[in-house]
Amino acid sequence: MAKIFILGILWLGVFGQGWAQMDHSAHMAMMGMGKPSACQSSGLECANAATPFLTPDGKLLLAWTSGGKVSVAQSTDLGKTFNSPVVVAEHGKSLDTGGDARPQIISDMKGNVFLAYAFFKDSSWNAQINIARSEDGGNTFTAPRSLVQDSASQRFPSLVIKSDGNIFIAWIDKRLVAASNKSGQKKLGGSIAYSNSLDGGRTFQAERIANEDSCECCRIGVSLNPKNQPVIIYRAIFPGGVRDHASQIISSNGPEKIRRIANDGWKTDACPHHGPTVAVSSQGTIHAAWFTQGANRSGVFYANSRNEGASYSAPMRLGKIDASTSRPYLLALGKNVWLVWKEFDGHNTVVVIKQSGDDGKSWSKDMIISQTADYSDHPLLIAQGNQVFLSWLTRADGYQLTKIGQIE
Amino acid sequence: MKKILIAFATFLFISTFVNAEEISLKSYQKGDWSSIVSLANGKPMAVHFWGVTCAPCIKEMPQWSKFLSSDRDAKVVFIQVDDVSPEMIRKMLRQANLGNANNYYVTSGLDERLRYEIDPKWRGETPITIFIDKAGKTETTVGSVNFQSVKAWFKKNN
Repeated sequence: MAKIFILGILWLGVFGQGWAQMDHSAHMAMMGMGKPSACQSSGLECANAATPFLTPDGKLLLAWTSGGKVSVAQSTDLGKTFNSPVVVAEHGKSLDTGGDARPQIISDMKGNVFLAYAFFKDSSWNAQINIARSEDGGNTFTAPRSLVQDSASQRFPSLVIKSDGNIFIAWIDKRLVAASNKSGQKKLGGSIAYSNSLDGGRTFQAERIANEDSCECCRIGVSLNPKNQPVIIYRAIFPGGVRDHASQIISSNGPEKIRRIANDGWKTDACPHHGPTVAVSSQGTIHAAWFTQGANRSGVFYANSRNEGASYSAPMRLGKIDASTSRPYLLALGKNVWLVWKEFDGHNTVVVIKQSGDDGKSWSKDMIISQTADYSDHPLLIAQGNQVFLSWLTRADGYQLTKIGQIE
Repeated sequence: MKKILIAFATFLFISTFVNAEEISLKSYQKGDWSSIVSLANGKPMAVHFWGVTCAPCIKEMPQWSKFLSSDRDAKVVFIQVDDVSPEMIRKMLRQANLGNANNYYVTSGLDERLRYEIDPKWRGETPITIFIDKAGKTETTVGSVNFQSVKAWFKKNN
């Protein structure tokens, strides 16, 4: 009798599991019926985000996330063809593929490539930033390892390489929020953390906090000023839970003053997944663009500062007032500034460009430079020498690196 | 003994069955908005978009559960937007005590094409709640809601 009893339980256990699996596969089959299946491969054709880097010798390095993997490929013909990609990391559904997440890639003059990305390390959705290096131009990479040793969440890395080869990295760090929650003080948001590497990413200096109160789900914009100092821009949390933008210069002494870019008045506890962009010209002008849904203005805006962030020009709206604008991106080369963003009209997504030849004093008219009818990544701008390119990953029209400008 | 055994086996059978069946999660893709709206069936309805990786969302979800247990007639549809496995979504729903709610998850990516038909002004921020009255008129709340206002809205529009 006892035997039957045990058998019965065993049978039920097997049956129960089998039933659950059947339910899952039946559900999958149902999903496939009549609707296009989601793109699943780890190739560029299924990528949600792709980040370019142009090396001084004209080689394009492209890092992307798709199919739960982080891959890197190289192109010697500006993105027309790529060598077979190297899979640097595999995290499955734990890889951070959120709306504002993207792998970061940079390289020095000697072919040392440095990569950073984030994934979710535990079931509470705490993220971890992993870094990997290549000493052969991106053919092979070291096994990814954690950037910092901390159990709280670190997400949204942003990288910049200085002319001396030193690497600056900034990210959203939740260690202070976690500590505050542990002590019973419920707190939302994150902090802006950063670090430097003086040895090509082998080791990093102890991390520092630039601003204790920032949005937890918007990437940080980084650009170098003429003094070779990183200028960061991010969605800060100002008193009263107002998530407006701030810029900050990181000098060798540490973080300088937090400068508010505009009083948008976006009091919210939402995750916008929509970070800002910054570019500093050779004159030291800080050009900034961002998205807000504030009480004082709503949409995508641009402003600049000619005094290291102490004051900013009045925000200029990008696109028409009711256009579905998003994802601004800036690049400055000398006194020339390029600004792109996305617009969606219900059918097509277009990339709109504006250009200034006088450091942001006057701007050209809006011009559509590319469009697609399916999924697309954020439009990005990248320079090599005196040439400027638009980097845009689209599902229907592939990855495109398009030359959009050149300075004399 | 036999009776007890049968009763026990039946109990085990049901509990296994119910466990597997516990959280139903339907897929949501671009083009599905009109079918979600039609679920209202002449009643006021709220559609709440949330993500498992969004801290304010996770903080708020148990409060939605509380709200639904006190306002049983309120029609609320939950749509999870992050690209994560259904198991991870079910786990969060179980923790928030929302396993029995009307749950969906985005299977085609939360891009502008998916968002536009819902609200052209929505750039992907979460949580976001769309309130649809009997006439189909919508009001949008970005960020956490005030449950007193949600209660009042359902009362006013019923």
